[in-house]
Amino acid sequence: MKGRGLLSVSPAFLRVWMRNAQVFVALWKFNVFPSLAEPMLYIFIIGIGIGSYIKDIEGVPYIDFVAAGVLGSAAIMQATFECTYGSFFRMRIQNTFEGIISTPVSAGEVSLAEISWGATRGLFNSSLVIIVLLFLGVLQHWQVVFVPPLMFVAAFSFAAIAILVTSRIAQMEYFHFYFAGFVLPCQFMCGTFFPVSRFPEAIQLIAWVIPFTSLVDLTRSLMLDRMHGGMIIEAVWVLVSTLVVTELAVRSMHRRLVR
Amino acid sequence: MVIEAQALNKRYDEVVAVDSLDFQVDRGTCYGLVGPNGAGKTTTMKMIYCLVEPTSGTLRVFGMNVLKSARAIKARLGVVPQENNLDPDLSTWQNLMVYARYFGITRQLAAGRCRALLEFMQLSDRAHSPVPDLSGGMKRRLIMARALINEPELIILDEPTTGLDPQVRHLIWDRLLELKERDITLLLTTHYMDEAQKLCDEIIIMDNARAVDMGTPSELIGKHVQPYVLELRVHPAMAAGITRRFAHMESQTSGQNLYFYGDTAGDFDGILAAYPDVQRLLRPASLEDVFLKLTGREIR
Repeated sequence: MKGRGLLSVSPAFLRVWMRNAQVFVALWKFNVFPSLAEPMLYIFIIGIGIGSYIKDIEGVPYIDFVAAGVLGSAAIMQATFECTYGSFFRMRIQNTFEGIISTPVSAGEVSLAEISWGATRGLFNSSLVIIVLLFLGVLQHWQVVFVPPLMFVAAFSFAAIAILVTSRIAQMEYFHFYFAGFVLPCQFMCGTFFPVSRFPEAIQLIAWVIPFTSLVDLTRSLMLDRMHGGMIIEAVWVLVSTLVVTELAVRSMHRRLVR
Repeated sequence: MVIEAQALNKRYDEVVAVDSLDFQVDRGTCYGLVGPNGAGKTTTMKMIYCLVEPTSGTLRVFGMNVLKSARAIKARLGVVPQENNLDPDLSTWQNLMVYARYFGITRQLAAGRCRALLEFMQLSDRAHSPVPDLSGGMKRRLIMARALINEPELIILDEPTTGLDPQVRHLIWDRLLELKERDITLLLTTHYMDEAQKLCDEIIIMDNARAVDMGTPSELIGKHVQPYVLELRVHPAMAAGITRRFAHMESQTSGQNLYFYGDTAGDFDGILAAYPDVQRLLRPASLEDVFLKLTGREIR
């Protein structure tokens, strides 16, 4: 059997990434403002509103604590929307993928292009939030320069899971289960709005298995200048699990598109 | 030889989509696949442009195995799919430019080809229209232009003219014949037998995943039907009486229509004299008669 996973993917995937970027730029007004609304609401309602009733959390003001979670969820939510509804629409409704794989571009390359495009959108979105946080004076340490690459990885991992789901479902309505059962729990339970240590131990364990918990902790540690040795394990876990999911997603999408 | 299929099979679980198909397509010819919906035509085509993988048998395109050299094969062919899959997020011009990029064609070269192809398909004035604003005929012409962007040696057309007005059909036929003169190979499916007869050098008639027969249009007509057909529009109850009375002539009944086949127009004189008031049409036999004879007149 010929390789259909990541090893068979050539740089031609960038041609499809460019197609998505071209469409995004043409519709930038529709893309920038709405996608900023949700993270802004989190910052103002939870960070500043609810946060004013909360004493310091782990020794820092609540807004400083929650910033990493808001950033992370801005990245993963955008990537997830792009690679669930967005990709499904391009695949099933517009038949765009079929048009693309009738050229020398392969199904694996389309998959990696969609995932990396979802990651790009997540990065773009969280970068807008970083700018707002800078104005709010939340970001004070130089290590913050490592946050955008982390956001790219966070968005990439969720884009890959989303493509895996998209490649398996027959109709869009299944995404409701995916959002309710996985994406929203991740958004709220992975140490985003309060420390994972609040949970009973069994749930803590589950939370740490989900790479997003590591990503949020890495982000927060950088933003608060609280570097620790566990960060290396977190980084390795994030990269390995993302690679595995990406491989599975690429193979699964190949099976979906080439039968 | 541009396409060689031997004992080609495609199975999906219990369903056999294509069953032991053998055929060869020579360079510079137009080859037609005809058959009822669900006969396996689209699956056959998708195996050739590497979107469907054969279950067994061999399929070589440009001498290369479709399972091993998909990328190299796809680089040299153009596809007009049954369902329009233009990119609705892009304009006419952008559709061609973005598609050219999938082939790795440089911007400069692509821009020149886009201009020429829009001209060729008479779309130059719509270069900057968004795709959703184009009419059905324009979308089809744009798909044709897109299929030519990589200067393919083989063009695969799945029902290229379904649902189009006669003007656009004639334009597409003209262009296809022009491409054939340039030694480009064409493989097409169609439900219009006049189209198959006009364009195709050779035809396969498919039914239930198998090839029922193949040959040139005139061979097929000569082999399966007599040169003349008389169509009578009669009540089914009356049809039985007529066929009994003229039992020595070959006939076929379908709903309200009764068909008689003959070698000369004079063969039908007896019938015409006996039923002067019945609505009738006497015409030369066509590929459509062959098609209906081989695949049956019933809807499936």
